[in-house]
This record gives sequence, structure tokens and C-alpha cells, in this order.
Amino acid sequence: MADVATIHTKRFNPWPVTIFVVLVILAALFLTPTLGVLLSSIKTTRSIALGDLWSLPDSLYLGNYIEVLSNPSVHRYFLNTLIVTVPATIASTGLGVLAGYVFAKLPFRGSNLLFLVVIAGMFFPPQVILVPLFRLFNALGMIDTLWPIFFVHTALGIPICTLLMRNFFATVPNALREAAILEGANEWKVLTRVALPLSLPALAVLATLQFTWIWNDFLWPLIFTQSDEMRTIMLGIVNLRGQYTVAWGVQGALSLVASLPTILIFLFFQRYFIKGMTMGAVKG
Amino acid sequence: MDRTNRFWRIVLLALPLTVFGVLVVWPLFTSFYYSFTNWNGFNESYDYVGFDNFRKIWTDHLFYGAIVNTAIWMVAAIFGPTVLGLTLALLLDTNIRGAKIFKTIFYLPICLSSIVVGQIWIWIYQPDWGLLNTMIESVSGEKFNFAWLARPNSALYSVIIAWSWQQTGLAMVVYLAGLTSVPSDLLEVCAIEGASTWQRIRRVILPLLTPSTVVVIALSMINSLKGFDILYIMTGGGPFNSSDTLAMFMYNESFKKYLMGYGSAISVVLFLIALTIIGVYFRQLKKVDEIYG
Repeated sequence: MADVATIHTKRFNPWPVTIFVVLVILAALFLTPTLGVLLSSIKTTRSIALGDLWSLPDSLYLGNYIEVLSNPSVHRYFLNTLIVTVPATIASTGLGVLAGYVFAKLPFRGSNLLFLVVIAGMFFPPQVILVPLFRLFNALGMIDTLWPIFFVHTALGIPICTLLMRNFFATVPNALREAAILEGANEWKVLTRVALPLSLPALAVLATLQFTWIWNDFLWPLIFTQSDEMRTIMLGIVNLRGQYTVAWGVQGALSLVASLPTILIFLFFQRYFIKGMTMGAVKG
Repeated sequence: MDRTNRFWRIVLLALPLTVFGVLVVWPLFTSFYYSFTNWNGFNESYDYVGFDNFRKIWTDHLFYGAIVNTAIWMVAAIFGPTVLGLTLALLLDTNIRGAKIFKTIFYLPICLSSIVVGQIWIWIYQPDWGLLNTMIESVSGEKFNFAWLARPNSALYSVIIAWSWQQTGLAMVVYLAGLTSVPSDLLEVCAIEGASTWQRIRRVILPLLTPSTVVVIALSMINSLKGFDILYIMTGGGPFNSSDTLAMFMYNESFKKYLMGYGSAISVVLFLIALTIIGVYFRQLKKVDEIYG
């Protein structure tokens, strides 16, 4: 070890420093856009219009946040988004658990092909099924309610949830299942009492991923809702742009408030989040 | 045993497959059906128009514009986020101090909604006080207020840059995952044999990262086909349709002009393009799997 240390002190290695500096510059560039919203949200629209957005403020102006948080429409948007996001996250994860279990533990002839068909579902642009779904929910009289958004997100979440749960259940030893069955448990008991308690990490991955995607979605609420009472938060941002055409500070505050749930989830469950992203991407 | 297994397969698969079938597979097929009609979105009735919608597609210059823009988006998606993501992954894989914080910074945009990302970048491109023009002004010393998003020549590229900002983190994550499978003793041998850093990257690391590259490129292409939300908020496909992509074009024809039959025909084209990419992707994955195990 001592030898290594002396070699290192003798020959100065410039690489780590160079890489570090390059990374700092890139990170600063990457943070700039986000910083811009943060800055806009604590400045008055007047000072932004005067070209003062990109400088550090000397005082904290909270008027934009007060404006956003006291707007009843914003409350409505938040509530609607929660009403859709939480149940759809639970439902899609639940359905993925059921299908993933069969594909991992009870394979049958053609099950691989069926699995591939389900997985392929996550790669298609949603525009491909837009018109028929609009017609379907129109015929059911569900346009301008939150129901179609819930149903569609539940269905579109099935591919990724099935994929991740199958991959996870595949790592649960078959011996566990067989032992439980020999003791008289049925598949449902094996799934709920043996497999599920082991798969809490996988469930956490899916919950964070699905919550983020559904919360951030824009297309489906755009298609299925019309009245302001049914808007979700991302649509609300676009809507309020009309109301606050030049109130840039308010728009910034609204964008930040709307992103807060997903940013918090991301920061606290980053490990799960990234894992889901890579698993979904790599194994697809 | 076999019978109970079959029973449980049916019980467990019934609900997920029904939901998936009714809300994803069935609409996909009916999309084909509606592409042969002139349904307008309101009336219950519609006429069967044969191949009229597809004939219209081939003569619609807006469609050609959308195809060209989607292709530009795809190429940019392959070179932008992929190359930058790879560079970041290679830099971060060197046990650098603070790697965790750097990673968080580069991932962060992934968890933001495209709507928020669009909103952020609208301000960067804002002609009067946007960051880009402010910076150009401070370098050149002259007043500069180019409207990046309102000019047909720059609108599409401006949106693509904003989009790339968000996608780079994803490419980086996939490459970082791939880098963990590059054996470190192999790299040590290279170092002992006197291979330069560049040689190590080109001759050893990059070939071993092929599986990740296949994934990243396929994902970039597929995600660029989905490019909609960020366009909607930043340009709406304008000015003069100069930043229309197929997804945007399909939405406008179906839900702005209420030509749902024509929109369905566009979505069929979109489906076929996506299917081709996915098909090539699955085949490449299989090949890669055979080579790299």
C-alpha cells in the first residue's frame, strides 16, 4: 500500500481533477433550467419583465406562492390528480402482480409469446389508440369525468408492472412455492403470503414509477376532460397560462408546486425509481 | 396438479388480460377499422370510405412535413441524449468525488412532467429576457431578441434541445447499469499492457456496452415517436406546422379538426413505424443476448 501511495504522490494524475471540473460545469448547465423556475417563482412579474429573472434575488418574494395556493382552481386540480393517480397506481400494480406471478411461476405453452405481446404494449405511442378510446368512453357517457383517465392509466401500466413483477417473482425460489403447496396452500395463498411479502422492494419501484408517470401525464386528461372542474394539475398549468398570460412568477410557482410531489418521491425513493427505470429499459 | 394449475392461471390472468385486451388491444384493432371511415367524433353514424384516408395521406404535405420532423427528432434523439448520456456515464464511473450528487442532478429532469419542462424552456427561449438571448447579449454586447420558438427555422430544434435535456438522464442511467458489468480486472490488464484511456474506451468498454447502446437507441427512437406533451406546450406544432411530429399531427387532425377517420389512418402509419422499430429492437436484443449471454 505504501508503494502505491508514493507512486501517486510522485506522479500527479490530472484526470480526476479534470473530470471533476467538467462534471461541475455540466451539472451547472443541467441545473440552470430548474434554477430558472425557482428564481422566477420568488420574483415579481415586474422584475422578470425588466430582465431580472436570471440574477440572484436580494429579497424573497412569496406573493406568487400565495397567489397559487389560494387559488381554488389549483386545489381542484390537485385533488383531481390525486383521485386519479393513487387508485390507478394501486390498480396497475395489482394487475401487474397477478399477471407477473403467472408468467413467472405458472408458465404454459405460449405464455412467452403472450408475455411479449403484453410487454410490447409499453412501446407504442398512445396516439395509436386515441380515437377508439375516445369513442368508447364517449359512448359510455364518461367524457368529462375522471373515470376514463383512471381506466386508461390502469391498462397502460399493465405492461411495465407485469414485466417488473415477473422478473422479480422469477428470483423467488421455486422451492418456497412448492413447500407451501405441499403444506396445503393454494396459489392465491402462495402469492399473497409468500411471494408478495418478499417483493416489497419491487412494489416500491412500481409505486414510485407509476405515481410519477400518472401524475405527470398530460395527454389523457387533455382528451377526456373538458370542464375546469375535471382538469388535472398538468392541464391546469396550461389552462392557467391563459389566466396569467404575463404573470410569469405565478406560472413558475405553479410549476414548482405541481412538481413537488414527484420531486419529493424522486429524492426519497431515488434508488427504487432508478432501478425501475433501468429494469424497464434494459429488459424490455 | 395440471388442472389446478390451469384453474389458477385463468383466475389470476383473467382480470389483467381483460383490462389490457379491452383498453389496449381492442382499440388498436378498431383504430384500423376507423381509418377506413370518415367518423367526425360527434355523430353516431359514419360512412365507410375505403382507402380514401390513406390516399389523402400520400398527398398531404402536412403529413410529409410531420414525417420529416419525426425523422429529424429521431436522429437528434439518437445523437444528443445518447452521446451525452454515455459521456456522463463514463465520467461518473471513475469513482469521482460527489458522484452521487452529480447523478441526482442529471437524473432530476426525468421526474419532471414534460409540461413543466416545456414551461422551463419557454423561459430560456423567451425573446426579451430569456436566458439564451441574455447570454448572447452579454457575449456580443448587442441587443438580441430572436424568438426561437416563433420562427419556423428554429422552433423544432429548440424543442428537441429541451426534450434532450430531460432524456439524457435516462440514457445515462442505462449506460451506468451497463458499465457495472464491465469487468474491472479486464480494465486493469489494459492499463498494465499500456493501453491509453481512449484505447480502453474504444476497444474494450464501448464494445462491451453494445447491449446498453441497443437499448438506449431503441428507447430514444420510440420516445421520439411519442414526442407530444412538450411540443404541445412549447409550440403546438407551429409556427405554420414547422414543428409538427406525427403524434402532434395525429392529435390536431383528430381533436382539433375532428377528422377522426383521417386521424385513425395517421395512427395506423404511426403504429406501423413503431412496430418496425420494436421488431428490429427485439431481434437486436436477441442477437445481443446470444453474443453477450
